[in-house]
Amino acid sequence: MSALSTRPALRWVVPVAAAAMVLTAGIAGRAIVADADPALPPRSAAELLVDLQTSAVTGLSGTVVQRAALGLPELPVSIGGQGSAEFSALVSGTHTLRVWYGGEERQRIALLGTLGESDLIRNGDDVWTWSSASNEVSHLVLPEQPEPPQPLPADLPTTPQEAAELALAAIEPSTRVSTDGTATVAGRAAYELVLRPRDTGSLVAQVRIAVDAEEQVPLRVRVYAEGVTEPAVEIGFSQISFEMPGDEHFEFRPPRDAVVTEVSSDDPLAEELATEASEPTVVGSGWTAVLVAAAPASDPPAGDPDPDSEALDVLLQALPRVSGDWGSGYLLESALVSVLITDDGRLLAGAVNPERLYDVAAS
Amino acid sequence: MSTVEVEPYRPRLVSTRLLRSELRIIFGRARNIAGFGVLASVPIIVAIALALAGSPEAGEGPPFLSQVTSNGLFLALAALGAELPLFLPLAVAAISGDAIAGEANIGTLRYLLTVPVQRTRLLAVKYAAIAIFATAMVLLVATVGVVLGLALFGTGPVTLLSGTQVGTAEGLWRLLLVCGYLSACLAAFGAVGLFVSTLTEQPIGATIAVVGLAVVSQILGVMPSLSAIHEYLPTHYWLAFGDLLRDPISTDQVSRGLLSAAVYALIFWTAAWARFGGKDVTS
Repeated sequence: MSALSTRPALRWVVPVAAAAMVLTAGIAGRAIVADADPALPPRSAAELLVDLQTSAVTGLSGTVVQRAALGLPELPVSIGGQGSAEFSALVSGTHTLRVWYGGEERQRIALLGTLGESDLIRNGDDVWTWSSASNEVSHLVLPEQPEPPQPLPADLPTTPQEAAELALAAIEPSTRVSTDGTATVAGRAAYELVLRPRDTGSLVAQVRIAVDAEEQVPLRVRVYAEGVTEPAVEIGFSQISFEMPGDEHFEFRPPRDAVVTEVSSDDPLAEELATEASEPTVVGSGWTAVLVAAAPASDPPAGDPDPDSEALDVLLQALPRVSGDWGSGYLLESALVSVLITDDGRLLAGAVNPERLYDVAAS
Repeated sequence: MSTVEVEPYRPRLVSTRLLRSELRIIFGRARNIAGFGVLASVPIIVAIALALAGSPEAGEGPPFLSQVTSNGLFLALAALGAELPLFLPLAVAAISGDAIAGEANIGTLRYLLTVPVQRTRLLAVKYAAIAIFATAMVLLVATVGVVLGLALFGTGPVTLLSGTQVGTAEGLWRLLLVCGYLSACLAAFGAVGLFVSTLTEQPIGATIAVVGLAVVSQILGVMPSLSAIHEYLPTHYWLAFGDLLRDPISTDQVSRGLLSAAVYALIFWTAAWARFGGKDVTS
């Protein structure tokens, strides 16, 4: 104490040391998580592909973190941003989901927002959606589906090796498949499977899938755009358990005061909704497929200004105008997706560079 | 023959006298009682407005507000949610900013230091009083909300954020957890106030600085381009109290929030100690 009372400045060592300790602990903790590549027996890309297809997980639960950095223009707040608990908000920012999986017929996904939550629950034939913000429930009873007779393929692969070769042969023409070491995801050891499109028109540089070494399920998927080192889209478990979740997670009873909408699968309304938007067509296949659809009408009916279409108008005006021998329109470019809205009312979108969109627009 | 043993004077290791006197001052001051009145008025005003004008449509208005009329417990949550951005940090800033600077300002600090109490202990007592005050004001808002809400709107099943309905007892337990979490967050923020209070002799200046910090931190917290620093902001985890209202409770963000609170309290209390322990007290 005497040193402290003669030299009061020495006291500052304590808070500075405390701050330094916390910072080091934080950085070291992160570095350990990031760098620890677990040592695993080598496994080929083909074997990993088969692992993914044959994994037999009966139940799991965990927390999934999804990040999207598509390089899109900042969206108006009403469309949703950080902390929003609406599923449509997933296109930008960071979001946390809790998932429970109890087999083919029992699943629950909860999107956590700040002071809000949206849930999607399937329990047998019942499908429920719940939104805490609007206090709304929708309920759909799935129609009885007769088990489709499984046609037995004539040349069923008989060995894992054969299966691996078949799987690889199926995607090799469009994709380079390789492995790239190991990773730790949600505290579990995983192999990294890397898919690279062969077509240079694709904006996707590579897709990295971390496959759990023990349970052989994908733990994390990262999509990288051309020329960007940070993943454009990342979705992965931050915590996972392979224990069968309890029944209580899949049982949903609508709150007594909630607004419940019964949706029938053969509802004429549902059919109308399905046919109203003209069916989009897909040009090309694989990584460079381009979706062609009718552009959303930007002129609202007179006397009924719709805030959503007004927002769309504003957004559209902010986009750069492009033109060519295919016509003219607005182009939205982001790290991973290009969207072309032509003046003649077509919408073309794909994970491709704009030149590919112009080609499709011209054809 | 009898011997008389004379005990040498040893100050007791744990004595609550200083703390009790500190609490008497804080809770007895007219301005603090008025402050408590302001904090308690929010659930009252909300309740009157809802009773007269009806509840807003679901999906509109601040969180929890539309549920108040179906269950009075939500009045407490709606009031806490409404006061969290400004009123609650303001109250903590007023008390913590006053802790040392206020004594210095009215000239009582040097008399306080003539009592045979170490400065470290004085600072610990001051901080304990701030933490107790933070807990008391959160509980006050919640209690007024619960009592008034149940009296005006009655009770019913409590709808959690996940859509599950639980009984009133479980709902009260969740509310208590929320109160505990918010008290911890605000008490940690009080450590920042205590530190600022040792820097100046103007309590009002310290209070304004601390309120400013809370507001700036919240503004930075909603700017998407600064997402890299968000988790280090003192106010970042405050709204995580919503995770205590899910089914099952999501502990991830809440435990990070408590860790963040502990780190803030540790760093700023030791900084206050370093500043106050070596300070020449002249007033």
